[in-house]
Amino acid sequence: MNIVVCVKQVPDTATERKLKSSDSTLDREAVDGLMNELDEYAVEEALRIKEAHGGEVTILTMGPSTAADTIRKALSMGADKAVHLSDDALHGSDSLQTSFAIQQVLGRTGFDLVILGSESTDARTGVLAAMLAERLGVSQVTLANKVEIDGSTIRIQRQTDYGFDRVEASLPAVVSVVEKINEPRYPSFKGIMAAKKKPVDAPSLADLGIDAAQVGLAGSATTVVDFAEAPPRAKGQIVTDEGDGGSKIADFLASKKFV
Amino acid sequence: MSFIESGERLALRAAVAELGAKYGSSYYLEKARNGGKTDELWAEAGRLGYLGVNVPEEYGGGGGGIGDLAAVCEELAAAGCPLLLMVVSPAICATIIARSGTEAQKKHWLPGFADGSVKMAFAITEPDAGSNSHRITTTARRDGDGWLLSGQKTFISGVDEADAVLFVSRTEDQKGTLRPSLFIVPTDAEGFTWTPIEMEIVSPEKQFICHLDDVRLPYDALVGDEDGGLLQLFAGLNPERIMATAMGAGIGRLALAKAVAYAKERQVFKVPIGAHQGVAHPLAEAKVELELARLMGQKAAWLYDSGDDLGAAEAANMAKYAAAEAAIHAVDQAIQTHGGNGLTSEYGVGMLAGVVRLMRIAPVSREMILNFVAQHSLGLPKSY
Repeated sequence: MNIVVCVKQVPDTATERKLKSSDSTLDREAVDGLMNELDEYAVEEALRIKEAHGGEVTILTMGPSTAADTIRKALSMGADKAVHLSDDALHGSDSLQTSFAIQQVLGRTGFDLVILGSESTDARTGVLAAMLAERLGVSQVTLANKVEIDGSTIRIQRQTDYGFDRVEASLPAVVSVVEKINEPRYPSFKGIMAAKKKPVDAPSLADLGIDAAQVGLAGSATTVVDFAEAPPRAKGQIVTDEGDGGSKIADFLASKKFV
Repeated sequence: MSFIESGERLALRAAVAELGAKYGSSYYLEKARNGGKTDELWAEAGRLGYLGVNVPEEYGGGGGGIGDLAAVCEELAAAGCPLLLMVVSPAICATIIARSGTEAQKKHWLPGFADGSVKMAFAITEPDAGSNSHRITTTARRDGDGWLLSGQKTFISGVDEADAVLFVSRTEDQKGTLRPSLFIVPTDAEGFTWTPIEMEIVSPEKQFICHLDDVRLPYDALVGDEDGGLLQLFAGLNPERIMATAMGAGIGRLALAKAVAYAKERQVFKVPIGAHQGVAHPLAEAKVELELARLMGQKAAWLYDSGDDLGAAEAANMAKYAAAEAAIHAVDQAIQTHGGNGLTSEYGVGMLAGVVRLMRIAPVSREMILNFVAQHSLGLPKSY
């Protein structure tokens, strides 16, 4: 099976993240990048499917040259090869353009199954799986916390507020996964040493038939009009218990519509 | 020339740090305080190949060097899990067997070191010999087609959780001269007993006195051949010092990280205490000392992995000295930064004091390192 995992490098969520005032895009230079956490689950699921059913796992990353570290990590976990789409013209692409660019890469790699984390910790749009499936004209099975492959059929389980959905589709398909699905492996020492020898394909936009005007900040369908720093956390209210502490707390909760 | 580690080394550090973070200080302290062992962490690190990075690939290991193993040790220590037996089992014992063992010994032991399924303790110190390895009295006598081993060892780490112990002893040659030699003794061998030493150190690994009372061993319990003894021994002692450096640097980083986090958070007057230079400068000094010690440790590992045993000896001694001092200062300053909290159980800083203080004594004391540097690096007369 030809499995492609879309992996994104994101700023470390433990550090303070900022938008650049010049073009309202994320300042990626100021912070350490690492693999989007949900994508680790996607890589792990791809490796498990490969181990059970055979095939090959390709990592697909769109991002600046520094994203090579994230690709290397996915390869050290056990993926076979990677495609790194990197071009300054892609800077500032929104979800629609990103899904278009990834579609073009998938045309080059081919696929039976595309696996994504359900969202990235930076943009958090959570729409890429749906957009990709639509562009590719294949089934989308999203927010999976369990995946089964049976011949050319994929079955997933999705947690809902009341229980869970079971969804079935035919391959090829796009699946997005949530963190409940598995426990991602740590790269083994042998995996780390093997990763440097694995091929990373770096096609240009021209190789993929993408015109620079079709992607990037200028051509985006969405625009960040304005942004502001989150206000500092307001000081908490201390309730002194003078025999009526309980009712004061209840009043406070009621004023905030919690009760 | 480069003073920066390779991409693979840095990736190894990142992977091990992630694994270490999964367990962390709380796991280690819970085990140490309740008499448990760090078996789960050891097993998982072993499965991932982290404990066998330095074992040759043909025996299932990672084919890396002592520099890789030291990186693993340092990152686990920095994550709150200093695994003392890493200094002994994969660093000393696996190195000696890989370098000096017979083919049969390599086939028997190295795959277990590669995946961490084997633990081997190392016994050199004797009650009356201390740092003087020439006075070692543990002796092996030929007995039929095997050996009879007798003697006593002290401050031997982890015997209770080891499969076997590598004993430094002496054998009599044809002329009656005693030569150093190394024997692998399974912990269930008849006549081999051990008793724990009560220590004032919080650690899952325990210290023991070992008694060997005419322990009968097959001929191939002897590592390598009867002539190679001292060289075999030195093959294992440089890695020991390099690993001790890594562990000291890791614990120092742990203490410093806790102190810095506290100094940023804790506010008594108008600003966090870390803004006061009386707090900030000693922490900055600790950082400088730790980085210098790490760099020397990496140099020692690089020399050792390049095959320069003599060059590695000087660097490994200096690195171990520097790391112990840096770790002691870092922990002391971390305690001071925490004020009273520095000695509470909750913050897990005070317990590090005993651990790093030990590093000024073991595996080789500060004074013996200064003797080495005075004599070998400076050419001063020998005092003993």
